[in-house]
Amino acid sequence: MADRQDTPLATESGIPLAPVYRPGTPDESYRTRLGDPGEYPFTRGVRPPGAGRHAWIQRELSGEGDARRTNAQLRRLLAHGQTGLDVIGDAPTQAMVDPDHPYARHAVGTQGVSLCRHQDWLELYDDIPLDRLTLSHSLPPLMCVPNLVAVARARGIDPATIRGSVVQAPYFAEDNGYAVHMPFALRERMAVDTIAFTTEHMPRFHTFLEDTYFVSDGVLDAVEEMALGFVEIRGLVRQLLARGLDIDAFAPRIAILVNCSMDLFETVAKIRATRRLFARMLREEFGATDPRSWAVTIAAHTSGFSLTGQQPVNNVVRGTVQALALVLAGVQAMEVSAFDEAYRTPSPEAHLVGLRTQQIVALESGVGRVADPLGGAWYVEALTDDLEQRIAAMVRDIEAQGTPAELSDRGWFRAVFARGMERYGRALTDGSLPKVGVNCFTVPEAEDVLLREVSETTIAPDRERIDAIRRWRATRDASRVVDALAALRAVADDRAANLTPATAAAYEAGASQGEIAGVLRESYGWPADPLGQRATGAGAVP
Amino acid sequence: MLIAVLGMDQHEVGAVTAAQLLRDAGVEVIYLGRFQLPQHVVRTAVDENVDVVGLSAHSWEYRDYLPEVLDGLRAAGAAVPVVVGGSILTARDAAELARLGVAATFGSGSTPAQIIATIRALASAPAGGT
Repeated sequence: MADRQDTPLATESGIPLAPVYRPGTPDESYRTRLGDPGEYPFTRGVRPPGAGRHAWIQRELSGEGDARRTNAQLRRLLAHGQTGLDVIGDAPTQAMVDPDHPYARHAVGTQGVSLCRHQDWLELYDDIPLDRLTLSHSLPPLMCVPNLVAVARARGIDPATIRGSVVQAPYFAEDNGYAVHMPFALRERMAVDTIAFTTEHMPRFHTFLEDTYFVSDGVLDAVEEMALGFVEIRGLVRQLLARGLDIDAFAPRIAILVNCSMDLFETVAKIRATRRLFARMLREEFGATDPRSWAVTIAAHTSGFSLTGQQPVNNVVRGTVQALALVLAGVQAMEVSAFDEAYRTPSPEAHLVGLRTQQIVALESGVGRVADPLGGAWYVEALTDDLEQRIAAMVRDIEAQGTPAELSDRGWFRAVFARGMERYGRALTDGSLPKVGVNCFTVPEAEDVLLREVSETTIAPDRERIDAIRRWRATRDASRVVDALAALRAVADDRAANLTPATAAAYEAGASQGEIAGVLRESYGWPADPLGQRATGAGAVP
Repeated sequence: MLIAVLGMDQHEVGAVTAAQLLRDAGVEVIYLGRFQLPQHVVRTAVDENVDVVGLSAHSWEYRDYLPEVLDGLRAAGAAVPVVVGGSILTARDAAELARLGVAATFGSGSTPAQIIATIRALASAPAGGT
């Protein structure tokens, strides 16, 4: 890739540029509210000026079929210039349900990759340079972390050198998104345990990646998205502190995966406000003293919900506008939702357009030359201030109503999501939210043909994978699996113990994700199979 | 009517929105929610004697489950019209669903007025009309 990092900073016409622009004489207000990029309160970005030119991690959300098929998909994207990997599981994997579960039979490998065992992870990352890329995961953290450690060790790579992330949204997963059918206390524990484990063993890995994307898309507005995100961040930080961890041990690796909307300036202001709010919160409220603890890494995914089934080519434009917003806001990584996402799991063609969108914005537009290019604009600063105040006020309001556990248990979060779903539906149907090709400027269906063929091609469920897992179960050393699951149960019953090492041992002994999840549910008094199809967890090992 | 989401499909925005829309229009909606299998839908449809069964589709699982729902209703002697809604449904999908015996399909281009009118018409049609 023709990277121009080493050329002098200038416009296309050769006008020299500074890496950042600021008031002639920065005053007290500038220093306290904005600061230079790389300086507290990080409103203008977490990296010093000049350090981040063209440098966000460019990746596309990947995963289909089994691990081998996804491995091929990842390699294709790397060959096209992708600079990081991002893997998402299929619906059963996300729900911690195995592919041979009766509920999974029509959903294996269609909306992501099917992963449930140690061997899958070896195949997923086969021959991929783990130590030279960032590996991002939209997968259950308690499967991701132990298996990533195991893959690194199998490849002779020190897990401490692995970079990347895994998403966390334990407070909201049950209500909107990937329900794992577990009680709040267990969901929170899986998050806290994996974060605590990687703080010690994988210090470069972001296990504390607060995922506000998936709880918000199509449901929450910018204020609600970030308020819920901060409620979860604050809750998990308090739990980690209660475990005796030092704030500066784990806070430098807190990151947020935010949503992007078509409202360009609101998205920019949201991200700037989030950085400032986070910095002040960590420093003033949680007493972090390491500047790296105050600077939050932000990654983003452009909104899949903003895309339309009608005239799919228009989604390329939507992806471009959102990618632009994210670069102007100064994110560290992004994925552009594929233009066919309204109908299907991304096609290779749509993946490539998403990646090319990022590359064109990065290399041709020059918008990333100067840090925080919108900083100082009256509109943007006023909107940033306003969003910060609104988000902070909503966080206070939520916390005044109860602890996250109480709010989750009494359906308070569920009600927020339900209201948002209803609100979006109404806005779309009454036309107050304009959607070109949907509620304005529509074309007859017969004329809506461009890119339709690729957009409508579906991925069949991977039924061979189901058979493969059934056969594999019978080949395992059953007593080894049963023993490892019994050991995990003992650890789970000790609420102060960390689940991660025993889970890693169970995977290595041949246990599957569904069996592990079953044992954990039983420890908390829930049925091993919440969907009522299987008798027990550990007891059912063939 | 009954509204349900099948299998592992976790996306619920469409189902919740449709349920609300129809309730606002005076339709009595039993919202069965996510993680339903065909037998759950059939049993509830029969037990509650509903006039219309509505399935929400945001994953492709409906393609495999739908024939099971239709067969199950037939086997239970319940001549209840089935409708399918979801933003992923294309014109080609709608044609295929009609061939299988689905009474109506709602995609991302369907308006609230169309949805309400279709459900009302199906609910007031004489039983066995499908």
